Amino acid sequence: MFGFLINPNKFNKFSDTIFKSLIIITSLALIFGLLLVYLSPLDYQQGFTVKIMYIHVPSAWLALLTYIIMTIYSIIGLAFKIPFGFIINKAIAPIGTVFTVLCLISGSLWGKPMWGTWWVWDARLTSVAILLVIYVIIIFLNYAFESREVREKTIAIFVLIGSINLPIIKFSVDWWNTLHQPASISKLSSPSIDISMLQPLLVMTVAFSLVGLIIAILRIKAEILIRKKYL
Amino acid sequence: MNFIKKILLFFKRESKLFYMNITDLLSSILFFFLSIFVFVFALGADEQLLRTIGLGIIWSLLLLSSTLSLRKFYEEDFDNGVLILIHMSGVSYELIVFLKILSHFIFIQLPFLISIPIASIFFNLPISETYNLILTFIIGSLILSCLISISASMNLLNKTNFSIGSIIVLLFSIPVIIFSVGINNNESDFRSIINLLIGISLIFLGISPWSSAAFIKLALRNK
Repeated sequence: MFGFLINPNKFNKFSDTIFKSLIIITSLALIFGLLLVYLSPLDYQQGFTVKIMYIHVPSAWLALLTYIIMTIYSIIGLAFKIPFGFIINKAIAPIGTVFTVLCLISGSLWGKPMWGTWWVWDARLTSVAILLVIYVIIIFLNYAFESREVREKTIAIFVLIGSINLPIIKFSVDWWNTLHQPASISKLSSPSIDISMLQPLLVMTVAFSLVGLIIAILRIKAEILIRKKYL
Repeated sequence: MNFIKKILLFFKRESKLFYMNITDLLSSILFFFLSIFVFVFALGADEQLLRTIGLGIIWSLLLLSSTLSLRKFYEEDFDNGVLILIHMSGVSYELIVFLKILSHFIFIQLPFLISIPIASIFFNLPISETYNLILTFIIGSLILSCLISISASMNLLNKTNFSIGSIIVLLFSIPVIIFSVGINNNESDFRSIINLLIGISLIFLGISPWSSAAFIKLALRNK
């Protein structure tokens, strides 16, 4: 049933069946989310700039989620010798890079009016910047080696070593005194954000992840074609 | 007995290579001093300013100059087949990596200890900070040797992108820098930070032989 997650042919077939409906759902979610963001109330302190949150938070989550997926597929590729893991690693690294850049830029634009500075050397910001460096190194490693086996396995081992950074990003706001606020939405406690702001945030998160999924499907299919020497 | 003899012969070979290539080490020490001069020229000779930022500058320059020897770590032995020869004499790749790290630590990193007191004179560092710097450098350079081993073995077959090895060393040396410089900055506990550094070095001494040996085997298979 879940063979499409590790088998390229099944993945191709599965993605072909869902692709059209996925595009329709994504555009609906994006339009609906933007409408909700437009109608959402202004913050009594931050005013209009609070709407940066609806881009900043989903892109930060997706940057982390992309890296988690890459870590899982690196383990799958290295331990079970399934090459689809390496295909995914190569295909979705640029997507994570884009989301990280989006997160950093929107956070910077949000920080200027709120904190009075574009950038502070605070633990959360620095660890996300290191995540960006790791993503860029992964992309560079794709062009560094001639042999494909060396390239794939080197990247997979590097992804595993770099995953030390993930818990540091997640818990940096709890471990150190940071200017960045702690998480507003967590699984264990009720969210400290009002429901009128939570709804557009969640819809925007779904829309962002669907956009990322569409790009990922296209990139993975192109990568499979390259491996089969069609491209 | 035979095994100990092999290890002693390995170190004998390394020390011979060290004496043959001693100008290389001296030029990286020269690089270290010259970059200190460049920093002082760029910042101006304000004594108070230099004293406050001196420790951070010395540490980051030590890091940069130790990445200079990165390409040499495995490449010559890999290209002329010495790695395979040592392996054929009954030493596993993991042990070769471990001995390589030790020899790099002894022959490349420890000679830098001579330059640290001189560098701290240039920045007018107090004697307690110099003592802390030497202590953290002895532990931190072992971590750096492990990192250099990982990144050098990763880039054995990399013929195009030469600077990515140094980038990887710099990336993973961030915690070393944070703890080594933080030992002086605030009223943090001296012994806890030393324990943390020793812990990090033990972690990397555990990780790096396995990962470097995996990279070397991968590179030998695709040579």
